[in-house]
Amino acid sequence: MKTGKEKEAGTDYPDTQLQLPSVPDQSGAQVITLPLIPKTQAQSSTQQETQSKASRKRPSLWYALYFPQLEGLSEKQRQEALQQLAGQTHNISATVSYHDCALVAEVRSSLKYFGGLHSIHQALHDSLQQCLRDLRLSGKYGYAATPTVTGSLLLARAGHNSAVYRQDNLRSALGHLPYEVLHLNREQNRRLYNMGVRQLKDLWRLPMAGLRKRFGSELLNLLNRALGKTPEPTRNYLPPPAFQTSYDLPYGVEELERLLPVADEMLAQLNDFLRRRDLVTDLLEFKLQHENRPATEVRLGLRQASRSREHLLLLLQTHFTSLSVPAAVSGLKLSVLQFDAHTPASESLPGQQAASNSSNLDLFMEQLHARLGVQPVRTLSTVAEHCPEYACQLHEYDARDVRSRPNKKQSMPQTVSDRPRPAWLLPKPQLLTLRNNRLYYRKAITLISGPERIETRWWSGQDIRRDYYVASEVGGSRLWVFRERSGERCWYLHGLFA
Amino acid sequence: MINATTSARDAATNAATNTVTTTLGSNAVRPFASGSEAVGLHGAASIDELLQGNPALWRGCDLAGHGHHGQATGFDELDGILPGRGWPRNGLMEVVAPSWGNGELQLLLPLMRSVIARGQWILWVSPPYLLYAPALVQAGIDIRQVLVVDLETTCRDALWTLEKALQTRNCGLVLAWQNWLPGKVLRRLQLAATAGDTLGVLFKHHDSKHSPSPLRLQIKDSSSKNRPCSEAEVTLLKARGNFCARSVRLPLPLSPLSPTVSPT
Repeated sequence: MKTGKEKEAGTDYPDTQLQLPSVPDQSGAQVITLPLIPKTQAQSSTQQETQSKASRKRPSLWYALYFPQLEGLSEKQRQEALQQLAGQTHNISATVSYHDCALVAEVRSSLKYFGGLHSIHQALHDSLQQCLRDLRLSGKYGYAATPTVTGSLLLARAGHNSAVYRQDNLRSALGHLPYEVLHLNREQNRRLYNMGVRQLKDLWRLPMAGLRKRFGSELLNLLNRALGKTPEPTRNYLPPPAFQTSYDLPYGVEELERLLPVADEMLAQLNDFLRRRDLVTDLLEFKLQHENRPATEVRLGLRQASRSREHLLLLLQTHFTSLSVPAAVSGLKLSVLQFDAHTPASESLPGQQAASNSSNLDLFMEQLHARLGVQPVRTLSTVAEHCPEYACQLHEYDARDVRSRPNKKQSMPQTVSDRPRPAWLLPKPQLLTLRNNRLYYRKAITLISGPERIETRWWSGQDIRRDYYVASEVGGSRLWVFRERSGERCWYLHGLFA
Repeated sequence: MINATTSARDAATNAATNTVTTTLGSNAVRPFASGSEAVGLHGAASIDELLQGNPALWRGCDLAGHGHHGQATGFDELDGILPGRGWPRNGLMEVVAPSWGNGELQLLLPLMRSVIARGQWILWVSPPYLLYAPALVQAGIDIRQVLVVDLETTCRDALWTLEKALQTRNCGLVLAWQNWLPGKVLRRLQLAATAGDTLGVLFKHHDSKHSPSPLRLQIKDSSSKNRPCSEAEVTLLKARGNFCARSVRLPLPLSPLSPTVSPT
């Protein structure tokens, strides 16, 4: 409920300083009161404003929120906290920008709607307190509103929870602030102190050229921005995208194939949404809803984020081939779990096909993963290890590995032995029979070359002491056999040269 | 593409000395001497080149050794008996070996190296044993472009993988171990391989006479008693574009790095 007075205050934009109520738990917050400007002047300026409305843009009013409790956090935590707080602040303004431990929202455009700065503050206060509590931070924060972003920030940092509506009043309002609010480094603070500067108004009195010489143009820029003499570019907060759509089928569908046209329609919507926001997705979820049963979830993960409708439909189709539903599907719900910025592939010149190739492979790998799972698709690597079983490793295929791989021309890892190694290795060495001093696998075996002695891994408890030989079997198979050097000195088959 | 085909046909009819057969449903026709201008300008030499460099076009009298549309096998003797002087660029190929370990992979090593050099991938679908990376590194194959799909589950999945892999242009070579496949499936794989411009190699123990694969060969160890594991005999069981079965003996030492030594 807005009171009549508030309404009036909101619609008339009083040019006097509005005294905002201080936050209850912010004890000791200092409130400065500026001399009231005579009403006549205020009226005339309002008239001027309305007159020049057509030709001049109405000056913005920036509402700054400063959270001193974020100072102690790490950079990443601070970013996350600010992002959450910005989500709350987005309720009062469409333009919210990030600053160091602070958020600044443009509120001139929403003054009329909320009915004054006071109401805006009331609307925001509870949700901010709640958000800070969720983040396990103290509920203290400073706030201020002035026609400049930097001015609001300085006021909020000082803990002056106040508002200045007119740019002309900024100079005097900021003049009372201590120089510490500028957040300069220690050396600069010391020099300012030694120069006898205690408040910002002492700075106003100093010659600009001299200040620039002593403190660099950065300080000067800051002051100029605070007073509205130079423009202030800001980085605006964009609310995270969200996409969800659902479709209720008129009757239960058992065959998953028949869901594809509906899914295609939903994917077309998604494609439209993503295209308008210049986004792509790499994880989305279809929920197949059943009557009286929990929904079946189908997650589509993509190697390379995409928004191609055909691609996603193909993946869904592949998923459907290996999916069985417990009951008839009564509805379909699509939600996107992860978004990514769209980075279009650069067009290749004729004859250069490498760029398109990699995406082609990604599509293939996705299909493999969708149908077979991640486990069976693997890449190889070698390990510098004497024991043959441990010298080769299989990894799950990771597209990022492949893409981040440096230049292909770089030499391959040469950590392999220079002695003959077979292309096939038996998962477990197979015991060979020894009859009448001849070795037999399927047929008789003759040794060709060797031995190669491998003694290793005594440190890990499994003492490996073997003599390896290259052998040939009657019929032509080339084998890799070894004889234990300890224990029963048995012969084993360990690999095949193919 | 269409231009190239028609110009090839024109050129062939103009040449008129040879009987020309154009295989129906011909897929990617590779123009070697590109365009009709080349034919017009250089006359007979270009026509010959065009006829020989085109795998979709073969002449009745063109026995092995004339065309050059294959990819080199790395063995001159084998190049000599294969149509197109080398492995086919795409399609299906069957290698019959009585048992694994007869040098069937060594036969393909030069091909694998060239596939890797082209930046394409080699896919191994359900190999019979663990593929041992150090051996591949020794043979000069960049194992970062090797992908193993290890399937203990169903033949259906393996065939599905095989078909998808053959359709993908990134896979230069797809190796699979499947003992018995019906002709219908093989025909389907052959289509996938031609569509994806990929060469698929099926390794099997037994030869099936009526297999539709365009190339079938058998490898057998043929080394003498005193120098075991040094030689293999490769027999051409079937080759599209070549009508006589021939065989050739290839030196296939165990490993390029280790000359075979007699046992101590």
